[in-house]
Amino acid sequence: MIFIKKKTGIEKKKARWGFIFTIPAIIFFSVFSFYPIINAFITSFYKKDLLSLSKPKFIGLGNYKYLIHSESFWNSVKATTIFTVGTFIPLVIISLILAVFISSRKRFQKFFQMSYYSPALLSSVVAATIWLLMFDPRGLANQFLNFILNTPGKDYKWLTSSGMLRLATIIVYFWKYIGYFTVIFVTGIASIPQSINEAARIDGANRWQVFSRITLPLIKPTTLLVSVMAMTQCLKTFSTQYLFTQSGAPLKPIDVITLNIYNTAIRDHQIGRASAMSIILFVIIMVLTLIQFRVSKAEEVQY
Amino acid sequence: MPKQKSYFFSTVADILIWIFLTVFAIIVLVPLVFMFTASFMPAKDIMSIPYPWIPKTFYIKNYWQALRGNDGSFIYVRNILNSFLVASVTSIGTILLCSITGYGLAKFQYKGRNFILMMILSTMMIPFEAIMIPLYLIVTNLGWQDTYWALIVPFLMSAFGVFLMRQFLLTFPDELIDAARIDGASEIGIFFRVVLPNSVPPMATLAILTFRSQWDSLLWPLLVIQSPKMKTIPLYIVQFAEEKFTNEGALMAAAVIASIPMLILFLSLTKYFIGGSNVYTGGKE
Amino acid sequence: MIRNKKVVIVFIAVLCMIVGLFGKTVELVFWTHEDPNRTPLEEAYIEEFQKMYPEVKITRVTYPSSKIKEVVLTAFAARKGPDIFNMEIQDAYPYVVKERVAPVDLKAIGLKSYDELLSMYVEGTMDPVIYNGKIYGLPLEVTNWCLYLNKKYFREVGLDPEKDYPKTWEDIVSTSEKLVIRDGEILLRRGFDFRYPYYFTEWLPLVVQLGGSLLSEDGKTAIINDEAWLKALQFMKDWGPQGKNLGSPTYQPARNEFNRDNNSVTMCMSGLYQIDRIKAQNPEFYESGEWMVVPFPVFENAVNDVRCNYYGHYYMVNAESSKEKQEYAWKFIDFMLSHPEDYLVQVGLIQPKNTLLDSEVFKNYPYADVFMSDLAKSQPVPLHPKGPQLEQLIREAIEDVMLTNVTAEQALATLKKKANELLQED
Repeated sequence: MIFIKKKTGIEKKKARWGFIFTIPAIIFFSVFSFYPIINAFITSFYKKDLLSLSKPKFIGLGNYKYLIHSESFWNSVKATTIFTVGTFIPLVIISLILAVFISSRKRFQKFFQMSYYSPALLSSVVAATIWLLMFDPRGLANQFLNFILNTPGKDYKWLTSSGMLRLATIIVYFWKYIGYFTVIFVTGIASIPQSINEAARIDGANRWQVFSRITLPLIKPTTLLVSVMAMTQCLKTFSTQYLFTQSGAPLKPIDVITLNIYNTAIRDHQIGRASAMSIILFVIIMVLTLIQFRVSKAEEVQY
Repeated sequence: MPKQKSYFFSTVADILIWIFLTVFAIIVLVPLVFMFTASFMPAKDIMSIPYPWIPKTFYIKNYWQALRGNDGSFIYVRNILNSFLVASVTSIGTILLCSITGYGLAKFQYKGRNFILMMILSTMMIPFEAIMIPLYLIVTNLGWQDTYWALIVPFLMSAFGVFLMRQFLLTFPDELIDAARIDGASEIGIFFRVVLPNSVPPMATLAILTFRSQWDSLLWPLLVIQSPKMKTIPLYIVQFAEEKFTNEGALMAAAVIASIPMLILFLSLTKYFIGGSNVYTGGKE
Repeated sequence: MIRNKKVVIVFIAVLCMIVGLFGKTVELVFWTHEDPNRTPLEEAYIEEFQKMYPEVKITRVTYPSSKIKEVVLTAFAARKGPDIFNMEIQDAYPYVVKERVAPVDLKAIGLKSYDELLSMYVEGTMDPVIYNGKIYGLPLEVTNWCLYLNKKYFREVGLDPEKDYPKTWEDIVSTSEKLVIRDGEILLRRGFDFRYPYYFTEWLPLVVQLGGSLLSEDGKTAIINDEAWLKALQFMKDWGPQGKNLGSPTYQPARNEFNRDNNSVTMCMSGLYQIDRIKAQNPEFYESGEWMVVPFPVFENAVNDVRCNYYGHYYMVNAESSKEKQEYAWKFIDFMLSHPEDYLVQVGLIQPKNTLLDSEVFKNYPYADVFMSDLAKSQPVPLHPKGPQLEQLIREAIEDVMLTNVTAEQALATLKKKANELLQED
């Protein structure tokens, strides 16, 4: 198109303005995102101690080789995978179900959305503080399970046994973000033209058919957006795990990659190694995002 | 007969859906109710089995202790104002900068436009811990340690914000812009007088998102802020929790106080928290 | 004309003085951990010191003690560290080894030799900051922990606290079994409980009592004497929810609950400073005299009679600060530390100065004798550039035995392998 059109003065001027409008962004992201990440990339090829003033030693892929053989790194990969899969799949599915249910109601739509959204208003520090009190052996979490399962006096070891600890971090995260994604889905569903639903109903489709054949395909873009967002967020999770381990929970089951990066830099002073881990995480997130976009493009439904 | 059956089923399903939604809402709200009730209890009641739920006496002392601080300096009040200032300024900056960028990326044709967009989007994938130390170096070299600049400037734009604004502006009617151009408005004038006033919903959503994430931020302020009067709410809470005289009740009171401003914001701007998110779906309605 | 010249000269001289006064201000930045009782004391010293040296301006900044490590490290990594700081010696030790802190400026504090300085302090307490023959810090406090107990609960279960207080780790188990109150598996009241993540300070002495050690003499091998380590790990397994269920890391820290006197814990481990905390947090309990302090327990068949490891906070000075700043920094540190009795009475911190130990104030201070006699049998926490990582490995081993089905043997094997790999690196 552009080639066919003869560029006029106005067009050129317009193009220039378009570029000018992006200059602040270019400067901003260069300084506060690209420079630091390039810096981290370069550092990842060095053996560098955070405290030492002596010149860092170039070791090529040494840090990456180390990580591939490091048990602690693979443990972190495992912890991150468990957390991400365990959080983002339920998040997407349940927020979708909640949204469909809410949309089917004629009353209290707003009330439910607000209730589910409210935990998102708390800051992570506050959320972790509340949950740490609830996960104390004498706290509400045990009382609740003992009531539901009729097991008086049982300690479910929320913050100590690996499985329960992982579950605990997943619950906190899920609790905090469920409303956020529900709200996005509700809006997505609301944007489906009412006429399509009604037409299907008249054709004799039941609720399930309406949902699976009409709603679901039509909110595909929303689903994609929600799942990419939820997944990236989960892969980058830090504060819940950080605050839990700081309060005495065992590190190993919830030593997610970001926490490992942080400890490698801050506790072990190995900034080169930490940078290498950061770059790996960056690449993982990027690849997974691209895959999600590819897969969903390939199945694009026409409507 | 089949009609009746389906009517019966849909009533049952209806009731089940109501129950499901209600139970889920209760479960989600329990921790909040816990926070609120515990803030009115002396420490020994909070850890008792079973949890009392209704405070026996309204132990207002917790709130007094939380506000006053253990040293009686009332610094928390200042810290709350700091959080407000930082979050507000960042939000305003973000909506302006992100919408102007989004506008430039959505409504103009030029070489390298998609490249710029892709580069900006790729920053969404950078984990903060990865760039924390280089970022710290930049900020200290600019001499911003222990200032509001350090808390605000590095967060003045977000890739997600640019993406959000661009998505919205893609569907912005060209006629409005062209009409203004024919009237002889300058490009900057068009942005401020035509585009901005007509993009309130996504801007409000973006502002709320930014406000929330700034309100929540812990690690970064911890590194760049030193003096007590510059601290933000999360920093105060971490410190308050650690001071040895603090009990759980007072801590919960501090948590409630920290949540009130967000709650007010939420209740007064509900439509942007909840309704505003149509911007995620590309603005098609 | 001459008059004019004089005026000009006087004017210039005054100007120089003004510039000298204001322009030559030495600004010292001083970072320390949060300690509510210490802040007013040191703020007062700063004011006094600034009066003595009007050219100096000192800014004191406090951080939560769990966060100061991160903050100081980031600042030093960016070469923007404070002029004066303190941290627990385990965390500060790498700063000494990597020469990021300056040795004590003897001239500034009016001393002639290191020996003169050393002679002022209790023997051995300066060891942690001596490196390559130089001294890199002055102690703000040296702390060891002893056992605090609540007499009421002892009497409640028919024990006489004065006579039946636990002397051995075996006693700790048997008295705790009498003292605990449970709701099913959940502990409503604990007897004793450990101070969980502080394994170097509190738990390593158990290993040493049984004849083991963290590092070999030459420092090249880690985890010495399997038998001792096994016994100590087994002790933790028996202690935790997999064994006799007497305590676990997920409960609120014992020392905080102890102060509240709310029937949730009977014994805890803490330093002398805990007395001031009880006083501040629960004056009724403090006045009631229903608490007491007894020595750190020792195993019945202990090989070495060692008590709780001591740790310290040492004031240090940034090696990259200007010479002038360093000089004033040491002067200021010396000035603060010249009030050991105030630190003891108002904050509950022991500066290991001989003059303090001989003073009446110290001798009359409640339970100071218990802490001092324990300190004489104590070792410092292990100092090693990889100390924090080693402590993390020990933490993992203990958490594995206490909370999972991993046996003491398995946990020890993993610990030994990982610790030695860590030492071998580079």
